[in-house]
Amino acid sequence: MVYLVNRLLLVVLTLFVISIVTFGITNILPGDVAMMIMGTQSNPEALEGLRQSLGLNDPLIVQYGRWIGGLLSGQWGESLLFNEPIAPLISQKMLASGLIVVMTMAIALLLAIPLGVWAARHRDRWQDTTSSTAALLGLSVPDFFIGIMLILLFAAYLGWLPSSGFVDPTEDFFGAVRHAFLPSLALALGLMAHLTRMTRSAMIGILNQEFIRVARAKGLPERTVVWHYALPNAIGPVMTVAGLQIGFLFGSIIVIESLFSYTGMGWLTYQALLNRDIPLIQSTVFVIAAVVMLVNLAVDLLYRVIDPRIRLG
Amino acid sequence: MSEQTGTPPPLLSIENLRVEFDGETGPIVGVKDVSFTVNPGETVCVVGESGSGKSVTSLSLLRLVEFGGGKIVSGRLWFRPGGEEAMDLAQMPAERMIDLRGDRIGMIFQEPMTALNPVFTIRRQLTDGLRRHRKLSATEADARALELLQEVRLPEPEQRLKQYPHELSGGMRQRVVIAMAMACRPQLLIADEPTTALDVTIQAEILGLIKRLKREFGMAVLFITHDMAVVAQLADRVVVMRHGEKVEEGPVERIFTEPQAEYTKTLLASVPKLGEMRGKPGPEPLRIPGQPEPVAPKPPTEAAAARPVLSVKGLTTRFPVKGGILRRVVANVHAVEDVSFELAHGETLALVGESGCGKSTTARSILRLVKPTAGDVVMDGQEVLRLDPGALRRARRNMQMVFQDPFASLNPFMRLRKQVAEPMLNYDLARGSELQDRIAFLFDRVGLPRDFMRRFPHELSGGQRQRVAIARALSVNPKLIIADEAVSALDVSVQAQVLNLLMELQADFGLSYLFISHDMAVVERVSHRVGVMYLGRIVEIGSRADIFENPRHSYTRTLLAGVPIADVTRRTLKESAEFKPLPSPVFPVGQERAAPVYDEVSPGHLVLQDD
Amino acid sequence: MRKFLSTKALIGLGLVLTVVAVAVLAPFFIPPERATQMVMTARLQPPSFDFLLGTDQLGRDLFARVMLGAQTSLTIAVLAVGMSIVLGLPLGIISGYYGGRVDNVLMRLIDALLSFPILLLALTISAVLGPNLQNTIIAIGVAFTPFLARIVRGEALRIVQMPYVEAARSAGTRDLQMIVRHILPNVMPALIVQATISLAFAVLAEAALSFLGLGTQPPQASWGLMIQASRQFLDLAPWTALVPGCALAITILGLNLLGDVLRDVLDPRAR
Repeated sequence: MVYLVNRLLLVVLTLFVISIVTFGITNILPGDVAMMIMGTQSNPEALEGLRQSLGLNDPLIVQYGRWIGGLLSGQWGESLLFNEPIAPLISQKMLASGLIVVMTMAIALLLAIPLGVWAARHRDRWQDTTSSTAALLGLSVPDFFIGIMLILLFAAYLGWLPSSGFVDPTEDFFGAVRHAFLPSLALALGLMAHLTRMTRSAMIGILNQEFIRVARAKGLPERTVVWHYALPNAIGPVMTVAGLQIGFLFGSIIVIESLFSYTGMGWLTYQALLNRDIPLIQSTVFVIAAVVMLVNLAVDLLYRVIDPRIRLG
Repeated sequence: MSEQTGTPPPLLSIENLRVEFDGETGPIVGVKDVSFTVNPGETVCVVGESGSGKSVTSLSLLRLVEFGGGKIVSGRLWFRPGGEEAMDLAQMPAERMIDLRGDRIGMIFQEPMTALNPVFTIRRQLTDGLRRHRKLSATEADARALELLQEVRLPEPEQRLKQYPHELSGGMRQRVVIAMAMACRPQLLIADEPTTALDVTIQAEILGLIKRLKREFGMAVLFITHDMAVVAQLADRVVVMRHGEKVEEGPVERIFTEPQAEYTKTLLASVPKLGEMRGKPGPEPLRIPGQPEPVAPKPPTEAAAARPVLSVKGLTTRFPVKGGILRRVVANVHAVEDVSFELAHGETLALVGESGCGKSTTARSILRLVKPTAGDVVMDGQEVLRLDPGALRRARRNMQMVFQDPFASLNPFMRLRKQVAEPMLNYDLARGSELQDRIAFLFDRVGLPRDFMRRFPHELSGGQRQRVAIARALSVNPKLIIADEAVSALDVSVQAQVLNLLMELQADFGLSYLFISHDMAVVERVSHRVGVMYLGRIVEIGSRADIFENPRHSYTRTLLAGVPIADVTRRTLKESAEFKPLPSPVFPVGQERAAPVYDEVSPGHLVLQDD
Repeated sequence: MRKFLSTKALIGLGLVLTVVAVAVLAPFFIPPERATQMVMTARLQPPSFDFLLGTDQLGRDLFARVMLGAQTSLTIAVLAVGMSIVLGLPLGIISGYYGGRVDNVLMRLIDALLSFPILLLALTISAVLGPNLQNTIIAIGVAFTPFLARIVRGEALRIVQMPYVEAARSAGTRDLQMIVRHILPNVMPALIVQATISLAFAVLAEAALSFLGLGTQPPQASWGLMIQASRQFLDLAPWTALVPGCALAITILGLNLLGDVLRDVLDPRAR
C-alpha cells in the first residue's frame, strides 16, 4: 500500500517533468503559433494582435501554466490542422493504435517465448545458432522496410489483406483486425527478435542456477524442469523488457501507421509534426509519453503481484 | 571379493572415471582415471582444493555433469542398491537415470540461498519429487512433506510448508534441501560442499543433522568438501583429490595420522587446528613441508603495548531502513553498536563473529568508508571521525585495507606496477627511479616475481592477487593494516602461505593488524588479542588465551563448540544439534540499547553482561 | 560457441568494414553528378550493365545513390552517437559516482525522458528545429542521451562499490583521479558495447526520419529517402525499395553482430 502511494507520487512527479519537457521542446521553435495560423506573409499588426489574444507575449512560465491548466481541466484546445477539439481526436486515435500495440505484443510474445526457451535449452547447438541468427536478422531489418515487403507480398501480390486504411473496431471488429494485421506483423517481427534474445538470456541465467540442479537431482524430467521450474522465473524479466519495448513501439508506429495510412496515434502525431500544428504536437507527445510511463508502471505492479519475493517481502 | 569375507558388496564403485569438458582448443579433462568405492551406511569424504575435480566426480554420479557441458568419456559407475543387480550409471539410458535421481540417490548442494525455486512454496518443492517417484496423492504427499520437515527439525513445520524460500534463513533452507533429498529414503546421499556457505554454528547444526539422518536410515553419504576439519569430524573413509586425480585414499584415522602422499601432508600442515596453540605465547606461522622455515612475529614490547596505535570508543554505525510515503527512516539496522577496543603497536587484534555480526562494518567505519553514527576513533593521536576530507586523506595513509575478494580488489584495467605505485603517487612519497626501486622491493617482499609488475590482474591466481593487494597496502608504510577476511576466499594451502606472509611482515615492519575473520582456527593462529562480536557488539574481548582457553560468554562458547577441528582424535560433532534462529539487528527509530556493561574477569579480559 | 562467436565476429567486422570503406571511398570513385543526374529516358530501369542496380523514378543511378547513401547514413549515425556520449557520459558518471541528491534529481529527469519514445523525441526535435542534416544529428543525439547516461550511471554505480575503488580511496586517491584511473576505464567496455548497438539504432533512426521527410532532405542521397520514393512504384520496380532496404539491413546487421561480439568479449556482466 505504502509502495503504491509512493509509486503514484512518483508518477505525478514524472508526469510533471514530462509536461515540462514537452512544453520546452515545442517552444524552442523559431516562429510561433500565430505565424503558423496566419502564414508568414501576413501583416505584422494583425500578427501582433493574434499573439496578444493567444497570450503568446506572456512569459513562458505563464504560457506553460495556461497549457497545463487546460490539460488538467480537460480544455485541450483545438487542432490548427483539423479544426477539431484535440481531446476526442486523441482518444479516438489512441483506440486505433491500442489495437495495433496489443496485436503486436501478442504476436511477438507468443512466438518469442517458445523460441527463446528452445534456444536456451539447446544452448550452443544448432537450434540456438539458428534462432540467434534469425533474431539478429529480425533485429536488423527496419520495420518500415518489412512493412513495404509485406505490402508487396500480402496486398499487392497475393491480395489477401488490405494494404492501407483503418476500420473502427467498435463497428467492425473483424475488419479492424484485418486492417491492423499487416502493420502489427511489421512491428512484431523486430520486437519478436528482441524478446527472443531476452528470453534466451534470461532462461540461460536461470538454467544455470542451483535450484535447477536441485530439481534435476530430484529426478524431475527435463521438460518439467525447463517449462515449470525455469520459465516462471524468466517471465518476470521478459515482461519487464516487453514493457520497456512499448516505448519503442510508440516510436515505430509513427512510421508504420504512416506507411499503412492507418489513422492512429502515430499517424496523427506525424500529421501534427509535418504541419507544425503546435497545440496538437504538445498534446500527442505528452499523451504518448504518459501512456508509455503508465504501461511500464502497470507492468511493474503486475510483476509485484506475480513474484512472491516482492509480493510478500 | 566380498562374498567369502561376509562383508556386503559396495553400494557404489567408481571405476576409472574420466570426465571431459569442451574447451576452446579441444577437450579439458575434469576428472581423469578416478576409482573408489562407497559401502552401504558409510561416509566417504572426497576432499580437495578448487580444480581438484571433486565436484565433477559427484555430479557425474547423477550424470548432472552433462548439463554443464561435461561428458563421461570412460569408466564405470556401478551402483548396487540393497541386494539388487548392479547397474552402471555411466551407461544408463537417460529416462532410467531420471527415475533414479532423487529416488535411490539424493543430492544436496553448496548454495542454500539459491537452491530453492523462489517462485514456488516449500510444499510444492518438497512434494513434486514424492509424487513423481512414489505416485502419492496430494494429501499423502503433504503428510509426508510435514514428516520430512520434522525429521530435519525445522521449527513450525506446518507454517513452513506454506512459505516461500525467501522467507527462510540460509540454515533453514539447507534443512529444506536436505528434506527434499531425503524424501524418497535414498540409499546414497551425495552432499557437495553443503555447509561451505553457512556460518559456523549453523554448519555444526547441519553436519549434526546429516550424521543423525545417516545413522537413523542406514544411508551411505558421499561428502564433497574442501575443509579438512569437516572431514576429520565426519568421515569414515577419505579420498584426497588434486588436479582431477585421486592422490590418496584410506580410513580417516590413517589419512590424518600417517598421510602417505606429499600433497596430503602439505594439505594437513596448512590447516590450522583449533586448540593446537594452547599454551603458546604469541602467534605462530604454519610449518608447511617443502617451504622455508617461517618467521614468527615478535611479541610487542612493553613500551609499544602501552601506547595504542588505534583506539576505538563507543563506535556505533547504523544503517537507516527507509519506508512510508515520505521515505522517512522507520527503523535502523544496528550494524555496529557501542564497540570499544584498543590496538597496540605491533599487535594483532582479531574481530571474529558470524555473518551480520558487524565485524566488517566496524573495519569500514574506522576507515570512514561508511559513515559511523557515533563514537571516537583515535588513530595515532588523530580523531579520525572529526577530520575534514583533506585531513582524512592524509590520515588514511597510516591505515590500509586488504579485502576479501582477490578478484574484485584489483582494478582489472591497470598494470600491477601502477596499482602498487598509486598510493605512493597519491601521497607523493617517491618518484622516478626511487619509485621503481620501491615497487620492485615490495614485489620481492610479498614473494612475487618482478616480471609480474607488467602484468594485469587476470593473469594471476587468487593467492598472487592477494599478495599484490598486500604490497599495495604496504607501499605507504602504514602503521595499521585492516585485513577484512583477507584469506577467506583462498584455498587452504594458499591461505597458509598468505597467513605466514602476513606474520612475517609484522615481524619485519612492526605492523599492527586488525584482523577480521569468521574462522576461529585461523584467528587462533595469528592473533595476540581477540574480540568476539555478536549482533553489532563485542561480547567478549581478551588475549588469545583468554578467549580460546577460558571463554566466559555463552556466545563465545557456542561459537567455539561449533568449530570443527581438523583432528580425528577430537571428534566433537554432536548429533543433537537443534535449530537456533538468529535475532534481528533491526530496531525501531529511537530505540536505544543500554550501554554495554563488561565484567573484567582478569586484566584485559572483558565479558559483556547479558541484558 | 567459440566457433559461432568467431564466425559472428568475422561477418560483423567484415560487413561494418565494407560499409565504412564504401562510405569513405565512394565519393572518390563516384562523381556526385552520377547520383543526381536524371536520365529521363532511363526511368525505373531494372538492374543492367549500364545501371548495376537499376534506376529510380527520376532515372538516377541507384548504385551510385546507394553508395553515397552509406556516407550520409554513417556520418549522421557516428556524429549523433558521439554527441550522445559527450552529453551522456559525464551525466552518467557524475550521477553514479557522487550518488545522493545529484543522482536522485538526474535520475528522475532521465526516467521522465525515457518515457518519450526515442524516435518520437528525435522526430519532434527535428520537426521543430526544421529538418536538415545538422538538425537530424542533433535530434538523434539528444534523443539517445538519456539512454546512454542511464547505462553509464548503472556501470559507475557498480564500479564505485568494488573493493578496488575502496582500496584506492583508502590509499588517498582524489575524486578526479579516481574517475580517470578507476571509473572511466571500467565503464569503457559497457560504453563501447552500447555505442556500437546505438550506432545500429542511429542508422535506423536516420532512415526512419528521412523516410518520413523529417530527416535528410533531397536531393542528398539517403537510404530512408530512397525507400520513401520507391513506395509509389513498388509493383513496377520493387528493386528501388530492395536496394536501399538491403543496404540498411546489411549495415545494421553488421553493427549488431559487432555489438554482440563485443558484449561477449568485453561486458563483465555477460562473462
